[in-house]
Amino acid sequence: MAQARHTLSTAWTVARLEWQLEWRQGHQLAAVGLFAIASVYVAFQAADQRTGAAAWTAMLWLVYLFSGFTAIGRLFDRERGDVRRYLQWTTDPLGLILGKLFHSVLTTTALTAVVLGAFVLFLGWPQGMDGPGKPGILVLGAWLGGFSMTTTLVFVSAVASQVRSGSGALGAVLGLPLLLPQLILATRLTRGALMDTPWAMLVEFPLFLAAMSAGTATLACILFPYIWRA
Amino acid sequence: MNGAANWIWKGGGIALLAYVILRGFSTPLQPGLVTAKPSALETGKQTVTLKAVGQPFAGSDAALEDFSVVLRSRSQLLKTQIKAVQPHDITVEVDVPNTLPSRALDAYVFTPASGTLFLGNACFVEEAAKGDIPAGFQSERPIEKPPQLGFSFPFQPNIMESIRNLLWHVPMWFAMFFIMGLGFVASLVQLRTGSIDWDFRAEAAVRTGITFGLLGLATGSLWARWTWGAWWVSDPQLNGALITVLLYSGYLILRAAMGEDDRVGRLAAVYNVFAFVMLVILLMVLPRYTESLHPGKDGNPGFNKYDLDNSLRAVFYPAVIGWGALCYWMYTLRLRMNRVAHTLLSR
Repeated sequence: MAQARHTLSTAWTVARLEWQLEWRQGHQLAAVGLFAIASVYVAFQAADQRTGAAAWTAMLWLVYLFSGFTAIGRLFDRERGDVRRYLQWTTDPLGLILGKLFHSVLTTTALTAVVLGAFVLFLGWPQGMDGPGKPGILVLGAWLGGFSMTTTLVFVSAVASQVRSGSGALGAVLGLPLLLPQLILATRLTRGALMDTPWAMLVEFPLFLAAMSAGTATLACILFPYIWRA
Repeated sequence: MNGAANWIWKGGGIALLAYVILRGFSTPLQPGLVTAKPSALETGKQTVTLKAVGQPFAGSDAALEDFSVVLRSRSQLLKTQIKAVQPHDITVEVDVPNTLPSRALDAYVFTPASGTLFLGNACFVEEAAKGDIPAGFQSERPIEKPPQLGFSFPFQPNIMESIRNLLWHVPMWFAMFFIMGLGFVASLVQLRTGSIDWDFRAEAAVRTGITFGLLGLATGSLWARWTWGAWWVSDPQLNGALITVLLYSGYLILRAAMGEDDRVGRLAAVYNVFAFVMLVILLMVLPRYTESLHPGKDGNPGFNKYDLDNSLRAVFYPAVIGWGALCYWMYTLRLRMNRVAHTLLSR
């Protein structure tokens, strides 16, 4: 019980510290936002305001995916060298990963708002749709997809941060195949929401996404102490 | 294991595979109907030829009266007159009435020694009105004679001769599961003990598993081209299979990126445990709950109808053991290479 409370307080401290550093340094979050909005603008120019639901979904998730890599890929960059050695002695690894997860989920939530907002602003609703679709499910799908992406990317960047050379590229290489199943589910959900597919036909996608996120998050928490312990 | 025991399972595995390859390619396929020509019929007297593949269902000296052919519309039978019987096709004359319970006609060919051949929706009569078949056109149900086909593989529509791929494609995936499971256990032991030898085992298992995964993808792609008409389709099972192979390729990339780093064993083990859990989700859980073209799905863990046939089973089980043994042999070779390389490098 005391151990659990200690872990949670560590997690809270780590998350708060990450958040404070983000705000103080500022450039990290701004870089991600800039990347996301610039990518959306490229998509907007390429689509020329005549986008069907399939192309809309494809571009949304490509922008979202690479913004996610930019935001989460450098999650363990600070914990290198002496800082890392110090933290290994003083910090509970489970608390550390939980804090990082919590912080990443917050980042992804912000990212969802930015990317989806910019998409609707620039590209508008996809062409050729009869009705307004299901905006609520679109947002839910984007957030759940992002959540799922985050839990996997936290694990991947933890692994990649252990490799001394070129960890950024390695994170992307390892992350993409791991993210494919979640992305397949999330794109189906997005397309269904845009095309106003009945909820009964979509309901399995958010359930699978939530189950997979919970699974990968649990696995990341179980395995992280092994990565962390040198 | 000592030398003699080793050679028994290795030799046994190779002997089984030789048996599987010989038997798998030499066993004839049971006859089955594939097309009716013409398939669009008009009312009145029509001549239809039913074509079959597989073993011939009639000798060249076949007597016409040993065969009977009926067309079925819903539950009513329409009689036909047999004109000619060849080893792989049978020509009948049929008087199509003006009224039929359904415009679609299924064909049944009753043979003296090859059992009853069936072709669903063989013909369509566009201009027939809805109604019963008039009494003069109806047929009695012919007497079914038990097939005497000997050792032969079952005919499945669309799959036909490609059913032999069952002896390659499926056991290759079984072998892949088996060796990846072994790698998973090795990685767990590595995480518990930190032993470098268990890391060698895990690496050897994953490398062999990827080889079998690629073979499974290649044989599956070939099968998809034949039965579904495309080399690759977007299907939960296929997506899962491809992603699994990509995931494990990531394992090798991670190892390569680590280079000489002495933490490679632990990090690779962590990744391998993660990858195996994903494998189970991708190949065993997700496809069960979503619609799939791939057989053995829809909540059924086996491959439903194929394993019901005894002749196929007599070759399929040896194939599973044979490919498994070959896979394990490849794994032991890779493991030895890993150990030798380590010994040489640490001298």
